[in-house]
Amino acid sequence: MTEASNGPRGGSEVGYFLIRRLHSLTGIIPIGVFLCFHLTINATVVLGPDKFQAGVDRIHAMDELGVLKIVEVVGIFIPLAIHAVLGLQIWLTGRQNVLAYRYGANIRYTLQRWTALITLAFILFHVWQMHWLGGWFPPGGEQFVPGQAPKSAAEAIQASTWYAPIYVIGVLAAVFHFANGIWTFLISWGVTITRRTQGRVGYVCAAVGIVFAAVGLSSLVVLKTTDPATLHVEPHEASHAVAVNLDPAD
Amino acid sequence: MADREIQFNVKRQDGPEAAPYWEEFTMPYSSGHNVVSALMYLREHPCNANGETVNPVVWDCNCMEEVCGACAMLINGVPRQACAALVDDLEQPIVLEPLSKFPVVRDLVVDRQRMFDALLKIKAWVPVDGSWDIHRHAPLISPNEQSIRYLFSRCMTCGCCMEACPQFQQDSKFIGPAPFAQVRLHNSHPTGSFFNPDRLHAIMGEGGITDCGNAQNCVEVCPKDIPLTDAIAELGRQTTIQWIRDLFVR
Repeated sequence: MTEASNGPRGGSEVGYFLIRRLHSLTGIIPIGVFLCFHLTINATVVLGPDKFQAGVDRIHAMDELGVLKIVEVVGIFIPLAIHAVLGLQIWLTGRQNVLAYRYGANIRYTLQRWTALITLAFILFHVWQMHWLGGWFPPGGEQFVPGQAPKSAAEAIQASTWYAPIYVIGVLAAVFHFANGIWTFLISWGVTITRRTQGRVGYVCAAVGIVFAAVGLSSLVVLKTTDPATLHVEPHEASHAVAVNLDPAD
Repeated sequence: MADREIQFNVKRQDGPEAAPYWEEFTMPYSSGHNVVSALMYLREHPCNANGETVNPVVWDCNCMEEVCGACAMLINGVPRQACAALVDDLEQPIVLEPLSKFPVVRDLVVDRQRMFDALLKIKAWVPVDGSWDIHRHAPLISPNEQSIRYLFSRCMTCGCCMEACPQFQQDSKFIGPAPFAQVRLHNSHPTGSFFNPDRLHAIMGEGGITDCGNAQNCVEVCPKDIPLTDAIAELGRQTTIQWIRDLFVR
């Protein structure tokens, strides 16, 4: 490093610092927040297909304003890409040694890296299978129909016996990575400083992880075990629910 | 028992460029040996387990009371001080290896220069020689802060924390855990704090604080029980604040 980099004014290192903090921040905001919303709205299918459809309709109301795709790209895909690229780079700076040093935090350090890779692979699969981006390539993707949310999601997950286990692994990996990420985020930003506080907050993060794992798995159980035909919702009424309610003559 | 022996298996290397090889040694048992005193016996009787006279095993040591850090090595796979490793407490054969994260000079001696370079880089001292006025009276530090600072002051730059750290490699730029304890220590000294921005800038770039992966092995293996992870989290806070300050004041 150059002389200037440990001077009172700082130099190029401030940019490096910003990039690393950006990686840390994007994991929580917006990606972590999005994950919580996503899993929670999915879990409303436990309360019945209409509840889930209503939640999806509320999100897709943004489509009528033409902003949903912008929100998705700017709020989710770009931060995810940044987080993934920087994260893979960070992976390469370390050499895991969990077999020699079997301490709890070192085990979580190792899991944080492997769950990152599993989650990234799962997200690529999941976006291809369900999302409009999956309509591009390869064929067979884009299974999710926003106007027929519970039925199309159940059909997609039941299309192969492999899909349910893939989803269980993917959701658990994402939730672990998120919950442990909160713990490391709070250390990196200097919120939790002593071992005692880090230990206590660790239990809170574990609780957050268990709750969202349960929330995530509950929707998968319903979508895997329910006959898709019974999840059918009245298409027009549902997709225009927002517009209809806004009509004063109704 | 007259036949009792102390058995060693030592990873040897004749020079920096030479290939490492293993050699076994045995010596008659006597109680109260530590690894350094046993190595001293082997230096007087440089004879391997096959009865061949060989060059004595080379190692580094100085204080013999676990305060200098010179005799750090891997003992049965654990990075620790040879002088404080009692033979009676160790499983045999006792496996001795040089620290793997530093260049080997010969046998168990490694080149620890990199750690001292890091201390220079982070200005691990209190600046008293200069044109500026220092405190007219000895600066006050609260007894509570004194006791915390004492913990950090015990670092002997032995390298055990770096040996256990998955982010610290011979070919990586990460300065490792120990220097952060010295930044924490000197930043909290009233006169030392004159250099706070310099020290924080020195750890904000590549190889600095953001390269920590929170595996926390450092604090587990530290022979002096230094709260290294507290220092790292505290500096996460200080660097965040410094970064914001740089945004507006620089």
